[in-house]
Amino acid sequence: MANDPIHQFQISKLIPIEVGGLDFSFTNSSLFMVATVAVASGFLFLTTSNRGMVPSRMQSVSEMCYEFVASMLRDGAGAGGMRFFPMVFSLFMFILVANLLGMFPYFFTVTSHIIVTFALAILVIGTVVVYGFMKHGLGFLNLFVPSGVPGLLLPLVVAIEVISFLSRPISLSVRLFANMLAGHITLKVFAGFVTSLGALGALGIGGAILPLIMTVALTGLEFLVACLQAYVFAVLTCMYLNDALHPGH
Amino acid sequence: MQLEAELASRRPQDKPGKEAEWAGKSSYAKAFQLSTEFVAAIFVGTLLGYLIDRFLGTTPWGMIIFLLLGFVAGVLNVMRSAGLVAENRAGRKDEEGNNHNADG
Repeated sequence: MANDPIHQFQISKLIPIEVGGLDFSFTNSSLFMVATVAVASGFLFLTTSNRGMVPSRMQSVSEMCYEFVASMLRDGAGAGGMRFFPMVFSLFMFILVANLLGMFPYFFTVTSHIIVTFALAILVIGTVVVYGFMKHGLGFLNLFVPSGVPGLLLPLVVAIEVISFLSRPISLSVRLFANMLAGHITLKVFAGFVTSLGALGALGIGGAILPLIMTVALTGLEFLVACLQAYVFAVLTCMYLNDALHPGH
Repeated sequence: MQLEAELASRRPQDKPGKEAEWAGKSSYAKAFQLSTEFVAAIFVGTLLGYLIDRFLGTTPWGMIIFLLLGFVAGVLNVMRSAGLVAENRAGRKDEEGNNHNADG
């Protein structure tokens, strides 16, 4: 059915690959991940290849991206956090470009699948845990032990802190995924109203103007959400990295 | 130059604290953040309880206890991201003050 609002999220295999009973097919999702990486790195490479002291318009766009992420990381995780700059910058650009590519009609939105956003969130939390233990050893576990808690309450408080820590990758991934999914479905449903009302004759065409206005407004909102969610993901990444860098301060 | 001065006056403070950042968010973003933080903690608590039950054979106690702990952690998450409760680190900084409070 043409009006099915979920249809846009279907995965289709473009090149079926199977290795040892496991499915490694190249899907439309993979295609758009490759496209995202190609667009992001191509843009950054081309705009900075012949750079000048006085930046051209496009060069200043990529410089702004750099400055934006760098200051975010410095505020969030301190100067020591700058060693994670490549990771945070790549994550930010990947999510931003993937979200914006999804705004093209007929394009697939990579970040509207929870497994993709969950993989990104696990990457962040995995980095926090691995780096935290590497740098502080068992001292990293101090993160779960707030000070000034009476001994009797300590097990309870530690359990709560551990659950709170483990819930981070989930809330991080669900937020990005749900925003993209909900936005695209809403857009599709309202656009569907336009066509189905328009088929009803003169009165229907008059009535179709309302959802049409709504669709235009929602498209603007979706662009905002696409950028905002990339920002939120990067900010929270900085916050969690800060925990890995300074767990007990 | 004039434009720059104008922009500087309209821009919020250079280093926004957590509260300023929170206040700058749209209500939609706030609602989304708080609900996901709350639900995620409950989900994790339930999952942990289920796994503990499964491997220790303590059905249904692990799930009951960890579901409730998940609710507590969810409330803690929400209050933390709303800036109502100090971060874990911040609490440790004024350790002495906290200890006094605990004693009193």
